[in-house]
Amino acid sequence: MGFGIFIFGIFSFSKWYSTPIYLDIPKDWPKPVYDFSKNPLTEEGFQLGRNLFYDPILSRDNTISCASCHLQQTGFTHVDHDLSHGIEGRIGIRNSSTLMNLAWSKTFMWDGGVNHLDVQFIHPITSEVEMDETMENVVKKLQEIPKYQELYKKAFGTDKITGQLTLKALSQFVVMLTTSNSKYDKVVRKEEKFTEMEQKGYDLFKQHCASCHKEPLFTSDNFENNGLAIDSTLNDFGRMRITQDIKDKQKFKAPTLRNAQFTFPYMHDGRFKTLNDVIKHYNSDIENSPTLAKQLQKPMNLSDNDRTDLVAFLKTLTDKEFLFNPRFSFPKENN
Amino acid sequence: MNIKFKIFIGLFLLCISLNAQNKTDSLYINVSLKFNKEDFKLNANYVSTQNDTLSFETVKFYLTGFQLEFKDQSTYTENNSYHLIDVENPETMQFSIANHINKEITSIKFKIGVDSLASVSGALEGDLDATKGMYWAWQSGLINFKIEGQSPSCKTRKNKFQFHVGGYLEPYYSMKSIEIPIIKSQIPNNKINLVLDLGKLFSEISLKETNTIMIPGKEAMKIADLTTKIFSIE
Repeated sequence: MGFGIFIFGIFSFSKWYSTPIYLDIPKDWPKPVYDFSKNPLTEEGFQLGRNLFYDPILSRDNTISCASCHLQQTGFTHVDHDLSHGIEGRIGIRNSSTLMNLAWSKTFMWDGGVNHLDVQFIHPITSEVEMDETMENVVKKLQEIPKYQELYKKAFGTDKITGQLTLKALSQFVVMLTTSNSKYDKVVRKEEKFTEMEQKGYDLFKQHCASCHKEPLFTSDNFENNGLAIDSTLNDFGRMRITQDIKDKQKFKAPTLRNAQFTFPYMHDGRFKTLNDVIKHYNSDIENSPTLAKQLQKPMNLSDNDRTDLVAFLKTLTDKEFLFNPRFSFPKENN
Repeated sequence: MNIKFKIFIGLFLLCISLNAQNKTDSLYINVSLKFNKEDFKLNANYVSTQNDTLSFETVKFYLTGFQLEFKDQSTYTENNSYHLIDVENPETMQFSIANHINKEITSIKFKIGVDSLASVSGALEGDLDATKGMYWAWQSGLINFKIEGQSPSCKTRKNKFQFHVGGYLEPYYSMKSIEIPIIKSQIPNNKINLVLDLGKLFSEISLKETNTIMIPGKEAMKIADLTTKIFSIE
């Protein structure tokens, strides 16, 4: 009898209710890479992650949040900044990445140095030029805030905040940032039609760009040298820093082109301001080197009209529903 | 206070005492550090056989995958065996690896560092939690062995030396296995005294030439190999 009450006590103390949610996988898309069985999504976990994403508490002096360099309306990148500034105005060496469809990504960062979405967040939090904070101190600060004690309890059934739970909550928010409702997607679903220019651009795209910017994600998730001359103020050799293999010199992750209309400036160091500049680079400014991507060894020879058509197509990858989805924006209701 | 709550508290205390009972039967590893046979302290000065004067600010490392071999040739493997030893926190220097061992132990096996699975599995808990400061940020994976300190031999900023030894991808997978034979008299009170002599490590490293290793690679592998030679049981 006493033991029964004891067991009942344990249950009534430990039970908490959370609301499972699921990632929508658009029709004909590949299987996501992220292992949801290790971090089951819940509405409460997602909302906790969303609060953390927008909270500057993650930085040493409480000034920089994830959203400082990853703004929703520009595909979660830092618009108009070639290199982003972090804490105390310190400048990093690379253009801030977009955050889109990361459930399908095998590696993270321009050089793919990070192997799992959960541990991606450690990089900006601890980087001296970004948030310059320690995970230990982030957890300590969060633990002192009643709002977070409550959010962790709702999400994970415990108000004992740990690094693991903090990273998993951030993943729950970021992994949900799916963009799949651009005009391109609607054309694929036969809900809309391309204009003549867009169609011509799409044909050119398939011929010249699609092997690295592979549909439907518009990235192959692979690393390539796309013929950019080395910027001697940065001397960034990309993937080689991770693998220490000379074959990876000057290789960077092929980024997704979704919402590219708004993610300027472009390239790992943000050197190009417009889509036109980017296409000009591929058309006539490729620098040859031993690791140059095979696909770029022959010139594209696009005419001025071709280039205009290609830009018209790239603009069909804009997904306004995603860029303005209130579910992904600053969590006003919790403040 | 109602009766249910009293029963609850009573059973709760009983559980704690049962748990404590188990603990006295557990087999413990007690880690201690030396520098060429001297007792080791953080921030104290030592002189290596390479004639480097040095002091240590941080010594943190993982001991994982504990296994025991018994006289009857059977073995015991600890589940979820990840132990972070941080010399700054004495409570990490002693930990239990097994309950109720009643067979004669003939050797102990363990690994210095964490397996590659831990380095590719995202956010982990306990001693592998990212708050423990052993996670690499810009290149995924856990640091297996972290040693930081100062020596006038290092022509670096503030004469610092820093060894962050890790790497989970071949050919630079730096987790190392070691096995140490054991005799009965080496397990007084269910405690195995595992001794690490950092003097042995720094007898093989000239701090003038080698003082900063922060990435996986050949140099990290060299240090990882050396760390297999500094453990003994006393």
